[in-house]
Amino acid sequence: MKVNSQKRDAVVSIKHFRMDFGKKTVVKDLSFDVYKGEVFGFLGSNGSGKTTTIRALLGLYQPTDGKLLINNEPFSVSSKIKLGYLPEERGLYKKESVIDTMVYFGRLKGLSKTDAKKRAENFLERVNLTDKTNLRLDKLSGGEQQKIQLGITVMNNPDILILDEPTKGFDPVNRRLLMNIIEEHQKAGATVIFVTHQMEEVERLCDRAILLKNGTAYAYGTITEIKEKFGGASLDDIFIKVYGDENNAEENQ
Amino acid sequence: MYNLGTVFSFEFIRTIKKKSFWIMSILFPVIIGVVFAIEYFSNQTTMQATEDTAGQVFSIEITDQSGLINNDIASAFGAKISADKQASINKVANGQLDACFFYPDNLDKNTVEVYAKDVGIFNNSRYQSVATTILQQSIAPIVDAETTAILKNSVVYNSTTYRNGKQSNSIKELIAPGIFLVLFYILIVMFGNQMLTSTTEEKENRVTEMILTTIDAKTLIVGKILSLIALAFVQVLAILIPIILAYILFRNQLALPNFDLSNIPIDPIRVSIAAAIFAFSFLLFTGLLVAIGAIAPTAKEAGSFFGIIMIFLFGPLYAVTLFVSMPDSPIVRFLSFFPLTAPIPLMLRNAVGNLAISDAIIGIVILMISSVVALSIAVRLFRYGVLQYSSRLSLSVLLSKSKK
Repeated sequence: MKVNSQKRDAVVSIKHFRMDFGKKTVVKDLSFDVYKGEVFGFLGSNGSGKTTTIRALLGLYQPTDGKLLINNEPFSVSSKIKLGYLPEERGLYKKESVIDTMVYFGRLKGLSKTDAKKRAENFLERVNLTDKTNLRLDKLSGGEQQKIQLGITVMNNPDILILDEPTKGFDPVNRRLLMNIIEEHQKAGATVIFVTHQMEEVERLCDRAILLKNGTAYAYGTITEIKEKFGGASLDDIFIKVYGDENNAEENQ
Repeated sequence: MYNLGTVFSFEFIRTIKKKSFWIMSILFPVIIGVVFAIEYFSNQTTMQATEDTAGQVFSIEITDQSGLINNDIASAFGAKISADKQASINKVANGQLDACFFYPDNLDKNTVEVYAKDVGIFNNSRYQSVATTILQQSIAPIVDAETTAILKNSVVYNSTTYRNGKQSNSIKELIAPGIFLVLFYILIVMFGNQMLTSTTEEKENRVTEMILTTIDAKTLIVGKILSLIALAFVQVLAILIPIILAYILFRNQLALPNFDLSNIPIDPIRVSIAAAIFAFSFLLFTGLLVAIGAIAPTAKEAGSFFGIIMIFLFGPLYAVTLFVSMPDSPIVRFLSFFPLTAPIPLMLRNAVGNLAISDAIIGIVILMISSVVALSIAVRLFRYGVLQYSSRLSLSVLLSKSKK
């Protein structure tokens, strides 16, 4: 289902995407665009196909059918797109130091060693982790490790930022810090795809959003359009209305 | 292969910085050194013990049914002749005697019995030495010198062999190509586990998605393999340098044989064949271990597959005599050309000089093709298996990906 057909520059374009795992269809027929410079909310209950779609978009999964394009071409690491991706599955090289890991990823993203080190140090200062620079990652708390992973995600000043449940596990202070960082990148011109369950974050940050249900787009458009479709309810209420039945059905099984 | 250098240097530096890498590197020559030291001190102790024993006089009684024992010789060792074996045993048991020996008739069928005071695990053998010496010295006047030498098992043999009309030295010729076999064994034993965990690490640390959206899987794998090869080179140097230094500095003290390296024959063809077999075998097993790491969800689970690979690889060592004596037998040919078992038979046969050039070429080609296939499969498995965080990659999933 595609409700918004506004003519704008689509940075991400997904057409009739279908994904089967064996006999199980996770995504049926999904189409949507993400426009340049917007913050796009990618919403859905657990198992609705959000992460699968992101992984297929980034070439980690081969789609069963359909086209998933970034800047009009399938994504590959050689396509020189400045991408920042924070996956849902969090993790880093736990036995390496913070700075070595950040510099390594910075270099993989095309930065020089000096530049990568400088940006890493600036980020660590920004998130109050300067004193952890030379510590091994497994000596950091879970929240601190997440901050490092976010730092790695944004250290190349990406044009496209894909964040899969970025606030998961963050306390309110760090959640606010994360939101500020995302806003800064959006203001600098980045396109942000934001996968989350936090509806207040969507209302605060997102221009448009899509709600996935049963492997298809249940609602898609600007935040205002989605709210109007459901009679002006808050996104929280809409989420409960759309996915509450699913959860009840699961509980009754 | 953009970023290959970055992956290589990251993997190389982070491993070389680990204490465990250097502990392993140092441990090997240290163990060798300890073995040499034990042997040296053991020899010294034995020599000292023999000297001590020679000077000592024990209280011994001998009951001789063989009729071979010379009374004068027995007396020289402080032994007295006793007609009553049981009485002598009782004296030993009561502490009145150090030992008593019983020489039965028909020594070729019956055993010499030694009864002695317990003087500790390392000293108890001295009484048997005395019993043996008394017997040997007693029979020396009876038989001729040649028979005595045979009985003492002390004949020294000197062999001279010829190949293609020229005098040859199989042992020396074995050294140069044989080094590759030893090197391969050491590398697999020391690096096998590291090869295995090099890909499970990304999966266990959940870092795969970030890596694979930044760098091509093939570049990552090749970078890892190159770093492993470089690390192996460093480790070999770390092992060899202390051994060579120890040899040069302590050769005389340890009574090590004097190796004249200039006398070691180097057959360029056999050495080249050994090098080629070594290189492709190393690549093949690196590919296999990386592939196992890619399909197994954890290093622990990968370990059980590792065991199977090691059985294939080192299992042929049990048939080592066959490789040397029956190189044309069907089983030797099968083990030489089956990719998983081929490295040891091929390198061993090449070292002992019974690997025909045609067999060597076939073996090298098989290993080369297998290593390329194994590395390609490893990259593919890594590509599709790394997102299976909690389960093993199934064949059906892999095949369904392959069709696309």
